[in-house]
This record gives sequence, C-alpha cells and structure tokens, in this order.
Amino acid sequence: MGSERRGDGRRRPARYSALTLLRRGLTASPWPRSWQAHELKPSYDVVIVGAGVHGLAAAYYLAVNHGITDVAVLDKGYIGGGGSGRNTAILRSNYLTPEGVRFYQRSLTLYQDLAAQLNFNVMFSRRGHLTLAHTDASLRTMRWRAEVNKLQHVDSEVIGPEEVKRLAPYLDVTSRVRYPILGALYHPPGGIIRHDAVNWGYARGADARGVHIHQDTEVLGIDVGAGRVQRVRTSRGDIATPVVLNCTAGWATTIADMAGVGLPIITHPLQAAVTEPVKMFLHTVVVSGSLHVYVSQTDRGELVFGASVDPYPSYSTRGSLEFIEELAGHVLELMPSIARLRLLRQWAGLCDMTPDYSPIMGVTPVDGFLVDVGWGTYGFKAGPVSGEAMAELVATGKTPELIAPFALSRFGAGALVGEKGAASVGH
Amino acid sequence: MILIPCPHCGPRNSSEFRHAGEVKPRPDVGTVTPQEWRDYLYTRRNPAGWTTETWYHASGCRRFFTLTRHTVTNAIRSGEAGR
Amino acid sequence: MTGYRLPERPGEVIDRGTALTFTWNGRPCTGLAGDTIVSALMAGGVRVFSRSFKYHRPRGVLTASFHDPNCTVQVDDEPNVRGAHRLLAGGMSVCSQNTWPSLRFDVKAANRFAGRFLTAGFYYKTFIHPQPLWPAYERVLSRFASGGVASPHAGHGYYDKRYAHVDVLVAGGGPAGMAAALAAAEAGADVLLVEEEQHLGGHLRWGGAADLAALADLRPRVLAHPRIEVLPDSVVAGRYDDNWIAVLQRRGLPAAGPVERLLKVRAAVLVVAAGLIERPLVFEGNDLPGVMLGTAARRLINLYAVRVGSRAVVVSANPEGDAAAADLRAAGIDVAAVVDARAGRTVRRAVGGRGPEGGVRAVELGDGTRIEADLLVVSTGWTAPTSLLSMAGERAVWDAAAARFAPGDGLPDGVLAAGGIVGDGSTAELIDHGHRVGAEAAARSAGAAPSPVEPLRRPPHPALFRTSHGIVDFCEDVSSKDIVAAVAEGYDGAELAKRFTTATMGPTQGKLELVNTIAVLAEAAGRDFAELGTTTWRPPYAPVSLGALGGRGFEPTRVSPMHGWHQAHGMVPLVAGQWIRPDHYGDPEQEARGVRERVGIIDVTPLGKLELRGPDVPKLLDTVYINSWGSLAVGSVRYGVMCAEDGVVFDDGVTGRLGEERYLMTTTSSGAAAVWEWLENWLQTVHPEWRVHVVPVTTGYASINVAGPASRRLLERLVEGVDLSNEAFGYMRVRTGRVAGVDDCLMWRIGFTGELSFELHVPASYGLHVWEALFEHGADLGVAPFGVEAQRILRLEKGHLIVGQDTDGLTRAVSAGLGGLVRLAKPDFAGRPELARSRADEAPHLVALQPIEQDVVPPEASQIVTGGRRIAGRVTSSRMSPTLGRAVCLAQVEPGLSAPGTVVTIVLPDGGTAEATVMPQLAHVDPEGARLRV
Repeated sequence: MGSERRGDGRRRPARYSALTLLRRGLTASPWPRSWQAHELKPSYDVVIVGAGVHGLAAAYYLAVNHGITDVAVLDKGYIGGGGSGRNTAILRSNYLTPEGVRFYQRSLTLYQDLAAQLNFNVMFSRRGHLTLAHTDASLRTMRWRAEVNKLQHVDSEVIGPEEVKRLAPYLDVTSRVRYPILGALYHPPGGIIRHDAVNWGYARGADARGVHIHQDTEVLGIDVGAGRVQRVRTSRGDIATPVVLNCTAGWATTIADMAGVGLPIITHPLQAAVTEPVKMFLHTVVVSGSLHVYVSQTDRGELVFGASVDPYPSYSTRGSLEFIEELAGHVLELMPSIARLRLLRQWAGLCDMTPDYSPIMGVTPVDGFLVDVGWGTYGFKAGPVSGEAMAELVATGKTPELIAPFALSRFGAGALVGEKGAASVGH
Repeated sequence: MILIPCPHCGPRNSSEFRHAGEVKPRPDVGTVTPQEWRDYLYTRRNPAGWTTETWYHASGCRRFFTLTRHTVTNAIRSGEAGR
Repeated sequence: MTGYRLPERPGEVIDRGTALTFTWNGRPCTGLAGDTIVSALMAGGVRVFSRSFKYHRPRGVLTASFHDPNCTVQVDDEPNVRGAHRLLAGGMSVCSQNTWPSLRFDVKAANRFAGRFLTAGFYYKTFIHPQPLWPAYERVLSRFASGGVASPHAGHGYYDKRYAHVDVLVAGGGPAGMAAALAAAEAGADVLLVEEEQHLGGHLRWGGAADLAALADLRPRVLAHPRIEVLPDSVVAGRYDDNWIAVLQRRGLPAAGPVERLLKVRAAVLVVAAGLIERPLVFEGNDLPGVMLGTAARRLINLYAVRVGSRAVVVSANPEGDAAAADLRAAGIDVAAVVDARAGRTVRRAVGGRGPEGGVRAVELGDGTRIEADLLVVSTGWTAPTSLLSMAGERAVWDAAAARFAPGDGLPDGVLAAGGIVGDGSTAELIDHGHRVGAEAAARSAGAAPSPVEPLRRPPHPALFRTSHGIVDFCEDVSSKDIVAAVAEGYDGAELAKRFTTATMGPTQGKLELVNTIAVLAEAAGRDFAELGTTTWRPPYAPVSLGALGGRGFEPTRVSPMHGWHQAHGMVPLVAGQWIRPDHYGDPEQEARGVRERVGIIDVTPLGKLELRGPDVPKLLDTVYINSWGSLAVGSVRYGVMCAEDGVVFDDGVTGRLGEERYLMTTTSSGAAAVWEWLENWLQTVHPEWRVHVVPVTTGYASINVAGPASRRLLERLVEGVDLSNEAFGYMRVRTGRVAGVDDCLMWRIGFTGELSFELHVPASYGLHVWEALFEHGADLGVAPFGVEAQRILRLEKGHLIVGQDTDGLTRAVSAGLGGLVRLAKPDFAGRPELARSRADEAPHLVALQPIEQDVVPPEASQIVTGGRRIAGRVTSSRMSPTLGRAVCLAQVEPGLSAPGTVVTIVLPDGGTAEATVMPQLAHVDPEGARLRV
C-alpha cells in the first residue's frame, strides 16, 4: 500500500492507522517518504519563509482551504528547527482580552481535531493548565482572565490552594514558603502536545498536496520594485514571486529588512530545560507568573521547564548557567521534594518581542510582502489559527477580522493591543 | 554569565546590570510627527551582529554607559559613559 | 568471598577488610568498601540490572562507568542513580527501575514480540482514532516511561554554591590532565583539577604495570602541589560565554554539610582533558547481558576484582582490546577467541540464553563461526567527548582515518584541549602533550599572546560502526533498523532523525550513540559522514540535580524597623514584592473605622523615597511628572504622576520641597527602583548638564502615617519645634522637626486616607522608638495600628487610584482621570507627545461605581458588559465601606458608559449580574475633601 500519484503531481499520503501499522509490520514493507525533496523552481505563486508551524500551517491551509498549491516553503535549516522545535509545547486559550481569547480559542479548536485532519498523531494531551497566583494583584489578574474567558465560553475558573493541591499534589501550598500560593487560574482545556509531530504533520499534509518544502535553503535577499515584491534570492537560486510571507521567529527583522520593512521587534533568547525521566507524578501543566516558571511532565516522564526570556537581546541559543540556576531555585520553591531530580539538557530558541505582547500579522507597506511574526513566547499555540488566517489573506487579499487587531499599522497609530494591559502584573 | 566591561568598575558579571536598549537618538519633541515619535518608541534595528546599546550598572556604580556588542557571539567592544 | 570475586589485583580500589551490607530489590547482599553498587552486585553474581525502555529486554553492564546506560538504579528515595559509578554505602536499599512486576519477570517484555510493529515513531501513526480515547492510550504509554520514582516526601536537602576564580581549570584527571595541571601550577598558575571518577588517574587506573607506575608517580605530585585544588567525583557540567564554567562537586563535602555543591568558576583558561569514551558496536544481540566494552571488562577486573564471566570472546580493533584479552586471561577467565577486527574479522551476532534473564550464550562471527561463550568483550572504537569544546564554539572535524571526531577550529583563546581527546600516543606522549598544553594555558592566563600547541597525531583506526542490525541507543531502545526506516520516511538529516527516533535524547545524551547514529544515517541516506555533522552538544555534560542548581534558595525579604512590634501585635503578613508588611491586625474594617473616628497609625516604610538636591531639581520634576513644579515653594508638597515616553502611567507619589535645593520624592513601593533608574537615565543620558544629585533613602527613613481627626492632638504631644496648627502647617505642606526626641524627622500633611493625617519620615534606626512613643502617648485618644487592607478601604472610599491596579499597562493619564493634571504648556516632559494626542473618547475611563443593591460587593476584576456578553469594562477596586455601610468601587469603562448616572451591568462570579451607578466624582466619602483640610 503505497501512495497514489495523481496527474497533477499531488499524492494522497499513505494512510496512518493501527491497521496499516500492522500490515506493514507483517509484510516488513517500508513507509513512503513524508515529504519529498524538490528542485527549486524559478517561480512560485507564493513563497513562505520559515518551515515552522506557522509557515507550514499557512502552506497547508492555502492548499486545503483555497486550492493554492504552487507554494514554496523555504527554511535555512530543517523542518521545525526554529522556535517550533524548541518550545515547551503548552497549549491554552486563557488569555486576558476578548480578542486574544477568541484568537487562541480558534487555535485550540483546530488543534483538537488536528490529528484526525492531518492523519498524524500530534499527541495533544488536554491535561489542564494551572496558573498560580502568589500575590493579590496576581489573583486579581487571574480573576480578570477567568471572567473574560467565561464570557467567551472558554472554561477557566479561579480555584483556591486546596483545589490546587488536589490537582498537583507535589506543590507546596503551605504558607511557610517565600511566595505562598494564594490560588490559581485553572483552565481544563489546556495541555501539552508533541511539537515535532505538529510540524511534521503539517509538512506531510502540505507536501502531499503539491507544496514544495525546501530545507537547507537560505533566503539571501528580497527584490522589491515599484513598491511590490518581485523576487526572492536564495542560496539555491532565485525565485520570481508576487507574494512573500515572512513566517520566521528570531529572523523576522533580518528578513523584513531585505524587503525594506521596519518592524517593532527585539529578539531575545528563550531558554528551556528538561530533566531525566521519572515515573509520572505531575498530571497538569503548572505555571507561576511571580516565579517566572512553567513546568509539565511528558509521557516519557521528563519534566520540561520554561521561564522568561533572557534579560538582554541576543541571537545566541547557547544557554546560560544563571538561567538553569534560577529556574531550579523557583521550581524547588514550588515543589521542594524533587531536589534530587537531575537536569539533563538545556537549550534555547529565539523570540521576537513586540511592545504589546501580541503578534504582527498581515500586510506591510510593501505590496505582496506579508508578515506573521512577533510571536514572542506564545507562537506555537497559535500555529493553526495563524496559518488558517494568513492563508485566507493570501487567497482573498482581505485581512480576516480575527487578526485585524494585530496589524503592523497599529504601532504607527499608537493603538497597541490590550494584552499589554496585564504586563505590569505578570503575563 | 557574560562579562560587561563597565567603564568605571571594570568587567563585572552581567547580572549586575540592566540592559537599557539599543541606542536611538531622541527626536526633537517640538517638531516630531506622530509617526516619527512612534517609530522612536517602537522600531529598532535588532541586528544579528554588532549593535550599540546602553547598559545601566544597577548593582554597582549606577551609571549609564554605551557599548558595542555582537548579538550572536556576545563579544563586546568597550564603551563610553552616558549615551 | 563468592566465586565472582578475584584474588587481589595490583590496582584494586576495594578494601577487602570492610564489608558493607545492602539490599537489592529487597534481597540482602554484601559488598566491600570501595565497590560501586554494580561492582558489588556483580561480585555477588548479579548480571541483569535493568530492562530496556521500549522492549523491556534485560540489560547488564555495558561500560561500567558513570555513563553506563543499563546501570541506572533507585537508591532509597533517590531515582536514576548511576549504579556503576556511585560508591556503595552500608544500609543502602537499591532497586531496579522500570521493571514490573520484577526484574526477573517483566510482563512488558511482551513488547519484544511486538517489536516489528513498534518501530520508532509508531505512535505518530496510530492512536489517532477514536479521538476521545487518546487520554487512555496516553496513560498506557506513560506506564512505559522509564526512570525512577520521585517521592513527594523526599526532603529538600541542603545544597550550596561556591565561586572560584582560577587561572587554569583542567577538566579531566587522566595522565594528560594531571600533567597539564602540574605544568600550569609549576608555571605559577592557580589550578582547579576536576575529575569525574572517584579517583584521579583516568585509564591508568585499570591499566598494566607501566600505567600503574606512571599513576604512582603523577598522582601524589598533583595531590601534594599547593597550587592545585583537586575535586574528584566532580564534573565540569558546562562551559558558558566568557569561560563561566559550572562544576558539580559530589564528594569531599563536610559530613553534615551540603549534599552537592555547585561551583561557578571564572577561569582564565579551560583545559579540556576529557580523554576518550569507548564506543559500542552495533550488531544483533549487542545489548544482551554479558556483552560489554573492553574498558568495562578492564575496570571491573582491575579496579574491583570482579570475575566478569567464565568463557569470553574478545573483538579487538586496538591495543585496549588486546589489553582486555590479556587482563581476562590474567584473571583466569577462559578466552575462547580473540577476533582481530584490524584483520577484517568481525562479530555478526550475539545469541542469548533462554529465560527472562537470558544473557549471552554464544557468539557468531562474520565468517559464520559460532563460539560458545557467556561473555563478549568488544573494543572497536573511540569517541572524543568534545561537548565542552563544542559549547565553547568549536566545530569538530571528522577524522575518517582515525574513525572519530577530533577537535577542530573555532575555539576561543581561553580554551585548550589536551591528551586523548586530541590524539593518541603512549602514556609518555599523553603526559608530554598535557605538559605542553598546561604550560601554554598558564602563559595565556598570565596574559601572553596565544601560541599553538603541537597536537598529538591520530593513528589510523578501523571504521567499525555496524555489522548487522542492533541497538544504537541503549537508553532509548533505538535500533539501527529504526534509523534506516526514519531515513526512508524523509527524516534524513541528523536533527530530524534524532527527533523522530529519539536516538541521543536519553540520559547519555549522545556520548555513546551519536557517532553510530550518524554512521547508520549516512549509510542509509547515502550521504557523507562528515557532511552530516553532529547534533549540537548542550550543557550540562552530565546531569545536575535541581538541588545543586538551586542552592540554598536564598530569597531575601525586607521588613521595617517596626516589624517585630507588628508580629507581637497579631499582624497577618502581606507579601508585597520583597517587603513583608502587615495586611491587618485582625479586623481591617474596624481599623478603618478607627481612622475615620479617632486616630490610626500605619507603617508605610516600604514607600519609595528619593532625596533630590541641586539647583536644577525643578527641571527634573517638570520632565518626569506630567504636571508643573516650577512654582513649588519651600515647605510645600505636591502630588505627581509619572508617565513613560508612550504616555502610559507608570508611577505616582508626592514630592515635597524641604529647602531651597532639597526635595524629597516619594514613589510607590514597587516602583522605587524603577523610578530611581528613570531619574538617573534623564540626568545622565539626556540632560547631563543639569545639576541634580539623587540619593535613595527608602530604607534610610522609617515612614509612619498618623491619620484621623485626633492625629494633630496626638502629635502635639510628641513634636517639638513645629507649629502643627492648620494655619501654620496647612494641607500639602512639609516641615522638619523633632519627634519623640528624634531630630531631623520630616513631617508632611497629605491625604491618601481622606482624614487629617501627618506622614512622618523618621531616621530608620529610631523608627521603632517613635512608633512606640505614639502608642504610649495616644492610648487615651484610642490610637490603634492599621494595616494595608484598612488603608485600601480608606483610599477607595476617597476614590484614590492605585497605579497598576486601577491603571494597567495601557492606561494613559487621560483615562485615569488625571487629564486635569497634564500641563501641555511644558515644552517637553515624559509622555508629552502621546498625551498631547490623547482624546477623552478614545480609551476607557476610570469612574467610581456604586452598586444599586446595598449589600452587593462585586469582586475585583468582575467584568462590565453591555448587550448581554460584550465586555465594556471591569471593576478594578471594590470593598465594603465601613463608613457608608455599602460597597464602593472603582472601574474602568468605555467612554460611552462613563457619564455620571449611567447604570452599568456587572457580571458576578456565579454568572449572575448586578447593576451599579456611575458616580459624579471618584470619592465616595467627603468628596469636597473637607476632613483633610482642618
């Protein structure tokens, strides 16, 4: 059972299921490639820069929702090698503003059905998400989020320390600690996902529909003429195209500079770390704003930790010692009994920070040069909805209402987005 | 923990300092247009390379100074006081 | 002594005179002092220590070193102990991990038979439908997660940290490392030598007579040298930018002291002398108990006198393999065959025995020969552990002739490599190379210009990676077939293959398996080994406990001089940033009533305070505040609001003029540091020509607010030198005088609570004295302390906003009802460009709300809606007012709802709603402010 080749160069990918797993196991026949390597064509209808979840989702939805398949996705490295492969894979929609909630909730809805739609198990584990509050200001913000969520029909509520302890028994909820847990925002629909699987699932789905994914292909320049995009120059050749979509993280300003577009973005590393595996004991995602730490446990038994971006901008993914020191100190504040657990590996990705904790999506002053950037520390959870919306923009030429608040022009107009509202009390 | 060469105190651990931003000349408030002001507030060069920026020695001499740093390697060329 | 302990070996580290007892899976066992857990178990005849992650195959010793993937055990309540490295201690309770119901019989081994279906990444292809069952699937999958048990009752333990500044840090205490340390120390450098194993010596320890002689010469000289500090059983965990190096010290700590210690070392020069790690060979059956590396056999025999088997086949491609065969013979073990891989002979398959513990029982060679044996020793390759060099920016190069990676270019001047990691040679050559590198390291640390050190050559070594399909990653149970399948599916680069198969993602993090992974990948993808490169080496080099990284958990707190008094009088603490303050003393509403009716005293020491001196202070104030300050007279106080350059409110406070050129600025408690930096920013970078000095005095003064109708009467009893009458000392004025005998106290009349009040700023060391004096002299007036909660109630009754609560990160001055304060006539001040453009109808407004129903107190953050569910604002502050007997609120609402008299709908937590009226002014109590001005 291979894949069927259709006349237009598209294939239906080999179907994944328990049955086909069994059949191939019995016959010892290999699975076909999830994506092909192609020659770089001299022109494409659409060029997407960045083969992370945003770029791949945009390509997928362009093909599936709009029938646009003459698309190239370029990446200077491997599929999902940037932020999409380095994040702590937490999904949630418990945001502060109504626009934010609507946006992330759409993403969560898409994630829910993604495995079935892509025929690729993305392992979305909806195990619940706890944001701990250690000050009354923070508790107030949790209530703010809960109330906004409830009005948008998103399941969130503020719970007290006893309920927190019931959900995560290893947390120290006594008042003897330096930062006592006063309560938490509990968001049952939140959880974690296998980030690589999402990237691969979208890549496989897009590739099967004729999209060309070009790895190890670096964008070196973007030619603009008469106020619009003309050509993309890459390390493997030039591509003539009327539409370029910037879906990079860390490199957003580098790419935008090529098109002559300035962005209000500053790049900071975001570090993360993982421990050795132990038997499962943490069954929800736990986040603490005051302690700047989030922790979850994978099905493999490892604890995955994240915290805040580095305090100064850089493009280094080398990691720092002070990061893991501070992280460990704060994790042990929350769960003192796991001091003997060992950290196995630390890494970092690059985050493009904007002035209002919200992304930049849509058109720019250069015709045909579109952006889906500025995703800070919250990009992965927005992959599906962003891809869907940017595909619609490319296909119809009209900016979908869902992403209208994130226009680049908002900075020139002084109309920053409301998620900045909570910045002073911890996001 | 990179070393920041404070012009007054010598090289000190970066945790003693606060990064105060890319150097960007403050426009004349009297003549600036709204667009230019917002560009000053929000837009930055953000290079993957050498950049000139201001640091504040918060746990030391408490002076502001500028230096030039390579944002990929964190190599630093020494700087000067003020802006 | 059992049949598995050999007679005395010249280099053994065990103490045959000291027996230790312990348990293994509940069974009593004995070992000797100096044994590791695994060597003691092997001496007792145990051969199987764990079961593999996915297929649950039985596993025995592979490397007999810290990084042995099969020897991870649980010791008491500590999971994931490296059993082949951890020294045995009496009384230990040791258990195998990931084995159910027992090590001997593991039900999950049924996985083995499902192996052909459970290839790497199989879970991406299934469990998709039916979707609602995924949580159940997940629970089953997670049962297979390996690893020990983290107990919820384990104590935190005590860990601490240490800083070290050394000239040369040597990572690795083998012959080259020891020689480098000696050479550097002889040249005058301060040296820290870190060795991962329990003792210095590296491979010399389990070597032949010549090696032991070299060790006997070098080691004592290193230990005795005054400029060398040696840390055994410690590991260099990471090298970070600017040679900031993390060292984990596991031993040599005081008995009642820390469990582990993290050293943070700033080394002028780092010498990496990490030697070589022996690499397993991939072939069918290569993970059976009884298949081990040459170094494993030599360690066990020579260090621990363990009989590792009875009949052995040795596959050798290098002198270490030959020496292993010699050691086996010397230990009386029958060596049935030495298969010389240099001559092209190989092993094809190890055949396992029957039963769940089945170890090796026969070996099939490449030419088809089958040999009965219970031990297969393999020495077919070396891997250079270049992680630390890679962390320093080095790009390793693949030396195809030597079949290993070698240090390449990209190293900064402060990092050098010495010994086996660079190349090969006799012991003398390794020592000589170490000497030369050590001398160069010392020279560089003293400031000399770098000069290159002649590297060791690397003689050719057969390129042996795989002879048939077998296990590539022992931790993750990834076979070479899995990697080939991954390549076929398009995961054909190093990173993609790693992520898809999870090879190199386990506890060994690539040390044993990366090269083989790349080799299999290269072969399957038809690509060049060198071109594929490696995946990136990340810190830590060895796993580091969270306890060691966290250290003592030092989180400072700040308290005022009156803290003890508060505690003694029943305070309920409030954590406010770093400060611990009294939230209340039992009944905040009563405290608030006390202030309105009599007099109350609150400790406001955390208030940010900055003293400003100089002729240009008014210019600074005009710049940072939105209102005007040029006209502030000596002895007067004014309220000010600070905005950032984007017009957003970020702090507020009062500033008083104490003298011609002397002012005191107050800020919010949490904003103190930021405001100070903000002032310095203006003075240093924008207006360096202004003459202003800023001195932070937040903790220089204890601050006490005396509030209530009787406050003046109370203070008259204690204040000298200041006329407190309303005519002489009016509202918003400041005076300096003597209070309770203490000179240089500042007093000002401001009105956060809305009552007649005096805020005292007392030199801090006299704070408690003045505080107690107030109580002593005010008893008949009914004086009582009040805390932060009562203050919140009082200020809310007066409609005073709190920055960060009633305003947020988007609130500009106009929205906060502060538009009247903005003085656009000032040509330049922080926030002016945006404030000049702000329009009242553009952003939410701050209003006071009064719920229509008397006893409804909407919780803070309750949303205000129109049309059923559309959000039009929120309640930012809300309390029951003891003065009015009803709720008082502040809220942010859309401009369209802000007109006085508008009725708004508030959503309550249970989903119900309450109506509230927008009030004409923010103050609910005494809106004219008459009570302040008496």
